[in-house]
Amino acid sequence: MSSLLLLGATTTASAKPWWMRGIDSNATDFLPPDVAFRLGARVDGDLLMVRWVIADGYYLYRQKIEVKAESPDLLVLAPQLPKGLIKTDPYLGTQEIYTQQVEVAVPFKRFDAGAHPIQIKVTYQGCAEAGLCYPPITRVVFPGAAIKPAAVATPSHSWEGMAIIGGVLAFLLAGLVLRKGRKLDIPV
Amino acid sequence: MNDRGLRVAVAASVVLVSIWAGARLYVTRTSEHGQAVPGVEASAPNAQTPDEGWPHPIIPARLPVFSLSDLQGLPTPIMRWSGKSLVINFWATWCAPCRREIPLLQTLASEWAGRDVTVVGIAVDYRDKVQDFAREFKIDYPLLIGEQDALDVAAKFGMDSPAFPFTVFTDRRGEVVALFVGELHRPQADLILSVVQTLNQDLVQLPEAKRSIADGLAAILNNRAG
Repeated sequence: MSSLLLLGATTTASAKPWWMRGIDSNATDFLPPDVAFRLGARVDGDLLMVRWVIADGYYLYRQKIEVKAESPDLLVLAPQLPKGLIKTDPYLGTQEIYTQQVEVAVPFKRFDAGAHPIQIKVTYQGCAEAGLCYPPITRVVFPGAAIKPAAVATPSHSWEGMAIIGGVLAFLLAGLVLRKGRKLDIPV
Repeated sequence: MNDRGLRVAVAASVVLVSIWAGARLYVTRTSEHGQAVPGVEASAPNAQTPDEGWPHPIIPARLPVFSLSDLQGLPTPIMRWSGKSLVINFWATWCAPCRREIPLLQTLASEWAGRDVTVVGIAVDYRDKVQDFAREFKIDYPLLIGEQDALDVAAKFGMDSPAFPFTVFTDRRGEVVALFVGELHRPQADLILSVVQTLNQDLVQLPEAKRSIADGLAAILNNRAG
């Protein structure tokens, strides 16, 4: 999964950025924010794991990360932000930043007995080392289950299949039994 | 158990199995729906295929008409500087490269003042923050400030979801000569302004000017890389 995401980030890094297409006066390439900072989230027990894969030459500000509950009856506590790298900018002071990849654990509690899919609102802000900053980005995400989607999909599909086959078999069996019963009912 | 009892039991089990199967199907479907986009932005369905569906910026040929308030809050039309070549710098106080650029913009403003070039800063930010910042950095070129209204102006330059800084260069006729995204450095600024100057003196035509800016910027980039 992570290698796939990284691959995606590197292959698109060479693509022409969207706001530069058609502009011939700028030789600098920048990535669209969703490519520079690829966001993902998953549930791990009583934690929501929010992760960014950050393109080479880009960084996120640690203190600008916010995670809020979006679905009903969901309580989201303060994100546990790992230590970042110290970046000292003469014009902005000392900041903690994340590069490459960062995963943030967010404790949560739900009071809806699982009635709603978990939905969170994530805000983050970052820049390119080459001198471009993106305004704060806010995205609503549905963190998936703890197990990888592929691992869940296979058994659930077979359950689904078994349920259908079971239902059909039970129906046929019932038909046979009922038919038999009717025969018995009718005097020969 | 008699026949009737057996029939009822079988019918009931069929109903139960059907309900169970249906419920199972429903649960599977809904949970799959929840997992179909694990951590993928609900509001950005194109995130997986970033190369498709992004809007192409349409840079206007001429300086668009707009008005924003200045540091004191007075509405200021951009036409106030008509007849001048403009260096319009979009920035924000929270943006480190924007802050780094300010001294260069100050220098350009004073160096080019005698050649009818005016630097105008457009801060997409809160007024009080910009006022504090302008005082601290002693910015003496004109500053315009706005929030949504400044974003609307950015959109008029083709930057609908802008990143900062970016700088627009116009000639004295108000033709947009260049839009530079990212932190501006001395060589790029000198190159673009010298081409603007040749345009202002009618030494070149606009397409030729744009070409030489593009070539010049590419050369600067290659020099830095090599």
